[in-house]
Amino acid sequence: MDIKEFIENFADQFEDTDASELHADTDFKALDEWSSLIALSVIAMVDEEYDVTIKGDDIRNNKTIEDLFNDVKSKKA
Amino acid sequence: MAFFSIPNVAIKGVSACVPPYIEENKDMPFYAAGEAEEVSKNIGVERRHLVRDGITASDLCVKAAEELISKLGWEKDSIDLLVLVTQTPDYLTPPTAFIAHEKLGLSKDCMVVDFNHGCPGWVVALSNVASILSRGDVKRALLLDGDTVSMGISKTDRESRPLFGDAGTATALEFDEGHTPIEFNIGTNSKDGNALKSIHGGTRNFWTLESLKNELDRREGLVEHNPVGDGMDSMSVFSFGITAVPKSIKNLCAKYQLNVDDMDCVLLHQANLFMLKKIAKKIHVDMSKVPTSLRDYGNTTSVSIPMTIVTQCANLLSTGHRNILGCGFGTGLAWAVFHFQTEGMVCPNILTY
Repeated sequence: MDIKEFIENFADQFEDTDASELHADTDFKALDEWSSLIALSVIAMVDEEYDVTIKGDDIRNNKTIEDLFNDVKSKKA
Repeated sequence: MAFFSIPNVAIKGVSACVPPYIEENKDMPFYAAGEAEEVSKNIGVERRHLVRDGITASDLCVKAAEELISKLGWEKDSIDLLVLVTQTPDYLTPPTAFIAHEKLGLSKDCMVVDFNHGCPGWVVALSNVASILSRGDVKRALLLDGDTVSMGISKTDRESRPLFGDAGTATALEFDEGHTPIEFNIGTNSKDGNALKSIHGGTRNFWTLESLKNELDRREGLVEHNPVGDGMDSMSVFSFGITAVPKSIKNLCAKYQLNVDDMDCVLLHQANLFMLKKIAKKIHVDMSKVPTSLRDYGNTTSVSIPMTIVTQCANLLSTGHRNILGCGFGTGLAWAVFHFQTEGMVCPNILTY
């Protein structure tokens, strides 16, 4: 798994937030556009792209995109 | 594995009734300009019928049942089994089916039973009713399914309020020797049950003055809803839906040599449009084959599949021979996949209480 590609996939779930605003250390839940529907899109993206099931706690307990990436990576292993 | 195939049972008809009061999502006070339209586009809901003035789930179910019994031309004394599914009962005791039995004026020789269940409830109850009818000892059954979950949702709850609606339905089933089997796959993921849970008010955590006040304040929108361990954790329900549902549908198809392409429609629990689209994509079925009653009625919990039959599939199911696949899912957490064939079902127009 590649963090750069993960950030790109993550950014695809947003409409108004430019991909250039998203980095490994971005606190994603603090983004203006973050919403419960984007959270669902991220869960669906992780399911489709990585075949990993993440739940509500995984979104709530991870702060940065990299934290979530590491979580997905460990679940995939 | 809970796969089972139940022969000799025909689904004769489905009817539905909604309360008269309609709440429009575009009028919800918590939305900024344009936001309501954006959310409606994603979740698929524009308005919902909600109970007011003391209308209960059993009231809605009884009205739907009267219509169905009359359209089928059934003698009330010929109904041997009455089942009612709800998570919003009239009373703590007796089971709500007894209230409906009395109002409908059914026979003393009719067996009644409640199912306390959420979104998979209609399918789970259907499997039980069909199992009883299949032997031919009990000839006719009515399956009532009604919920009024809006009563527990605050007007300020941005997540749940725009989603859930109230409704009551009736489904008629009959022993029919030689009828093609109804096939089921029902499964359970109880370890994630916290995703849909109401922890107060039962015997584990009986109401205290504090918890009751908090609940009443929450319903009034005075305190925030805490999604962890009490109420709905929509992210976890979504994860469950987009993984367990496609998998269990595929399992049912493999077990009974069914092909999704051969189905006239796929009836999914109306969780929200976003989730339906994801599930449809994973089972490779076009959304034109996945009817939805979300726009005008919202997510009506266990009632959503019979609601969708009445409001979207009446023409399809009342004519010709049909193959229907579907899945109820949620509370438990649980999934309940079914496949049945019908011929000329009776589906009266939806009623308003």
